[in-house]
Amino acid sequence: MVSRRDFFMGAGAITAAVAASSVSRVSLAGLPEPVIQSSPETMAPLEPNTGRPYKPVVTLNGWTLPWRMNNGVKEFHLVAEPVVREMAPGFNAHLWGYNGQSPGPTIEVVEGDRVRIFVTNKLPEHTSIHWHGQRLPNGMDGVAGLNQRAIPAGKTYVYEFEAKRPGTFMYHPHADEMVQMAMGMMGFWVTHPRDAHPNIDEVDRDYCFLLNAYDVEPGSYTPKIMEMLDFNIWTFNSRVFPGIDPLVARKDDKVRIRVGNLTMTNHPIHLHGHEFEVTGTDGGPVPRGARWPEVTTDVAVGQMRQIEFIASDLGDWAFHCHKSHHTMNAMGHDVPTMLGVDHRKVVTQINSLIPDYMVMGERGMADMAEMQMPLPENTIPMMTGDGPFGSVEMGGMFTMLKVRADQPAGDYSDPGWYQQPEGTQAFEWTGPLAEPARFKSESTTGKPAVEVQVRKPTGHSGH
Amino acid sequence: MNKTNTAPARLGFIGVLLLTVAGCAGLAPQSSLEQVQQQSAELTGQDALHWATEQDQPPVVRERIAELLAEPLALESAVEIALMNNPGLQARLFDLGIADAQRVQASRLPNPGFSIGRMTRGSEVEWERGLHLNLGSLIALPLTRRIAEGQNAQVQREVSLSVMRLATDTRIAWYRAVAAQQSLAYSEQVLQAADAGAEMAHRMAAVGNYSALQQAREQSFYAEAALSHLQARQEQVASHERLVRLLGLWGEQTNFTLPERLPDVPAEPLDQPDIEQQAMASRLDVQAAQQGAERLATNLKLGKATRFINVLELGISNNSSNEEPVQRGYEITVELPLFDWSGARMAGNEARYMQQLQRTAEVAINARSQVRESYQAYRTAWDVAAHYRDEIVPLRKRISEENMLLYNGMFIGVFELLADAREQISTVNRYLQAQSDFWVAQSELDLVRFGPVTPSEANSASTTPASPAGGH
Repeated sequence: MVSRRDFFMGAGAITAAVAASSVSRVSLAGLPEPVIQSSPETMAPLEPNTGRPYKPVVTLNGWTLPWRMNNGVKEFHLVAEPVVREMAPGFNAHLWGYNGQSPGPTIEVVEGDRVRIFVTNKLPEHTSIHWHGQRLPNGMDGVAGLNQRAIPAGKTYVYEFEAKRPGTFMYHPHADEMVQMAMGMMGFWVTHPRDAHPNIDEVDRDYCFLLNAYDVEPGSYTPKIMEMLDFNIWTFNSRVFPGIDPLVARKDDKVRIRVGNLTMTNHPIHLHGHEFEVTGTDGGPVPRGARWPEVTTDVAVGQMRQIEFIASDLGDWAFHCHKSHHTMNAMGHDVPTMLGVDHRKVVTQINSLIPDYMVMGERGMADMAEMQMPLPENTIPMMTGDGPFGSVEMGGMFTMLKVRADQPAGDYSDPGWYQQPEGTQAFEWTGPLAEPARFKSESTTGKPAVEVQVRKPTGHSGH
Repeated sequence: MNKTNTAPARLGFIGVLLLTVAGCAGLAPQSSLEQVQQQSAELTGQDALHWATEQDQPPVVRERIAELLAEPLALESAVEIALMNNPGLQARLFDLGIADAQRVQASRLPNPGFSIGRMTRGSEVEWERGLHLNLGSLIALPLTRRIAEGQNAQVQREVSLSVMRLATDTRIAWYRAVAAQQSLAYSEQVLQAADAGAEMAHRMAAVGNYSALQQAREQSFYAEAALSHLQARQEQVASHERLVRLLGLWGEQTNFTLPERLPDVPAEPLDQPDIEQQAMASRLDVQAAQQGAERLATNLKLGKATRFINVLELGISNNSSNEEPVQRGYEITVELPLFDWSGARMAGNEARYMQQLQRTAEVAINARSQVRESYQAYRTAWDVAAHYRDEIVPLRKRISEENMLLYNGMFIGVFELLADAREQISTVNRYLQAQSDFWVAQSELDLVRFGPVTPSEANSASTTPASPAGGH
C-alpha cells in the first residue's frame, strides 16, 4: 500500500490548484495522519493489527483506509479533495474523492466498534458525509442542514458512532450531493460480524466495489455534473474495462462480492458459469430460507447487494452489468444506424472532401473494436480490451471472474489467460450441413409459398 | 474711318511684333500621350498606351493580346490588355488630340481685318483701304497661350487618371473573377458533400434505418447547396464578363482562363503613416485644382491688364484718291467706358477665382479624407483576411480534425461529419472573399494616391463588407 504523507505536494497541478482551501497544520494536530493513495491498482487486503480481528475485504481497484486506536475508539481520517482518477490507462478523470482516490477508501470495522471519523474538507465548497445504511445517532447521519451544519471548506468535522449492525454500507456526501456524487465522492463501508453469525458465512475471498457513472465528454477530463441519465462512462469503482482488475479465486473458494449502486439507474449484475445467492441487502444478511439462486441480480439505485457462490468451475468467466450499453465506453448516442447501408461510391465522394473518412457501422459496430483509429485525447475506444482470442468488444462495467486450481490463498494477482483443455472450445464446423426435412408444400428456395400481403383498409372493402 | 498718314515703317514694325508674339506653336499630340504614359506608369506599371489610329488593331497589338491570352491570364497581363484594348480608353485618349489642337489654336494670332471702301464725290473717286487688328487679343496672346497650355495639361491629367482608373478597375475585376471562380469550386465541394449526405440518407431510408423526415432533412441540405451553387455560377459568369468588358475582348478572345487562386495576402500590412503627405503631392485632382486656380489668377491678371485695351482696336488706313495725294494714317477705336467700366466682368472673374480657391481647398480636404479612408479600409481588409488566415481557418481545421476523431470513436455520425465538412468549406470560402476584399482595397488604395475613388471602382461582389467605399 502506498501511503505518502507528502502526496499533496506531488498530486499534480489539478489537485493542488483546486484544493484552494488550505487546512492549517495546527488545526490538524492531534488528528490521525491522513493516509493518501495514489495508485489505481487493487490493493491487498488490510489485515487488522489493532482492534477486533476480522477477515478483510478486497476493494476492486481500491484500498482500505488504515486507522489508529485511541482509547478503544477506531479513528479514521478522511480528506475530501479533488483527485485525478485513472479510469483506464490513458484515460484520466478529474474527480473529487477522498484521500487521493475516487471512490474513497473502504472503511472496515467490526460490529460493536466505536468509530470516530475526522472529515477534513479540502474541496472548494462545503460538504458532509452520510453513512448510508448505518444505525447511528440522528446528528451523525450527515444530511447537511437537517442533521448538522455543512463542513465548510477548510474545516475538519468529527463523526462518532457505534457500528451497530454487520453488513455492507456506503458513504457519500449529503451536501450539494448532486454535484459531489457526479464528481465521484463516495466510498464503501463494511462492518464485519463480531462473532459467528447464523446468516453470515465465512468466505475465502470477499470483494467489494461501487457502481458509478460519469459523463465525460470525449477529449475532456471533468465529468459533466448536470447530466441526469445520459451517462457515457459506466464504471466499477470508477474504472472501465480493460482498466478493471479481474476477480480471482482458487477453485472451490467460497467467494462473496459486495456491490453498491450510486449511479442513477439500476444494474443487472450478471456472472457467467456459476449460480450465486444474494446473501445480503442494504438491510442486512438475507435469512437462509429466503435466498434463491440467480445468475443475475439487479442492483437498484442506492442499493447494496452481497452475492455468494462457490467458484467451482475453472476458467475466465465474464462478470458484467447486463445492460449492454453499460459494457461500452464513451460513444455517441445520436449516431445514425448505418447497418446494411450500401456505402459504395458515396465513400469515394466523401473521401474527396474528408480524406480520413472510413466507413463504420455498415456491418455493425464491431468495426470499432477492430479498427484502431485515432481518437480525441483522454478517450478510450467504446469497445476495447483483448482476450486470448481477439477483441472482447466491451468496455465499461465488465470484468472477469478467474478461477484457477492453483491460485494460492490470499493471492489476488491476475493469473493470466485460462488454458482451456483440449476439445472444450467451440470450433468451426467444416463438414456438410444436412438439409432439414421440409413439408412438401414448402418452397425449396427458402421463400414462403404464399407471400404475406398487407392489406390496408379502404372505404370500399366491405367489412 | 479716319484718314491718317503713317510711315510704311510702322506697318513693318507691327508685322515683326505680331510674328514675335505668335511664336511658332505646332501640333504635338504624341508628346501628350507620352506625358500620360509617364504619369500613369507609376500605378499601371505598363507602357502599353498607344493611339488606335485605324479602325482595326495593328497586328503587333493583336499578336501581343493573343500571346497574353494564351496563358492563364495574370493580373498585370490583364492590365496590359485593358490599356491596349479598352475602346473606352481609346476614345478617351483622343481627348489629348483635341486638347492639343485647342492649345495650338490658342497660340495663333487673331486674324487681322481688312477694309476697303470706294467713294465718289463728283468726279472724285476715293479708295479707302484699312488693315485693323484687335490689339487686345494680341496683347493678351501670351497669357491666353499659357491658359490653353494649362488646359492641355489638365486634360493630360484627366486622361492619366482615366488610365489609372481603368487599370484599377481591371485589377479589381480580375480579383473578383478569380475569387468567383474559386468560390464556384468551393460551392461544388459543398454540393458534393450535401449530395453524399442526401445519397446516404436515401440509402438509409431504403434499408429502413431512416424515416422520411430524417431523409427529407438531409435532402434539404442538398437542395440548398444546389441553390448556392447556382448563385456561385452566376457570380462567376458575371465577374468574368465584367473583366471581358474592361479588356475590350470579344469572340474567341473571351475564352481565356484565369489562374486557379488569388495571390496570398501579404504577411504584414503596408504601414504608411505619411500616406496623406504623399498623396497630396501625387493626387492629380489636387494638382489640377491648384493649376485651375493659378489659371484663373492669370485670367484675372489678364482681365486687369486688358480692362481697357480689349476694347481698343488699332487700324492702319491707306486712302487714295484720283484727285488728292494718298492719305496714310492709323486709327484707334476705343469704346468709351461710359456705361461698362468692366467692373462687372472683373467682379465675375474675381468671384470665379475665389470660387476656384474654395474648390481647391475642398478637393484637397476630400483627397486627404479619401486617402485616410482608403488606408483604413485597406488595413481593415488586411486585418479581416489575416484573422481568417491566422485564426478562423486554422480553428475550423482543428474542429474538423477533432470531429474526425469523434467520428472515429463513434461519438458522431457521418452526417455530422459531412455537415462539418460543409461548414469548413464555407469558412474557407469566406476567407477567400476576405482575401478578394483585401486585394480590392489594395487596388483602391493604390488609386486613391492619384485620384478620387468612386463607387464604380468599388463594384463589390463580395458578401463581406470589407471593400472600401473610397471617396465619392
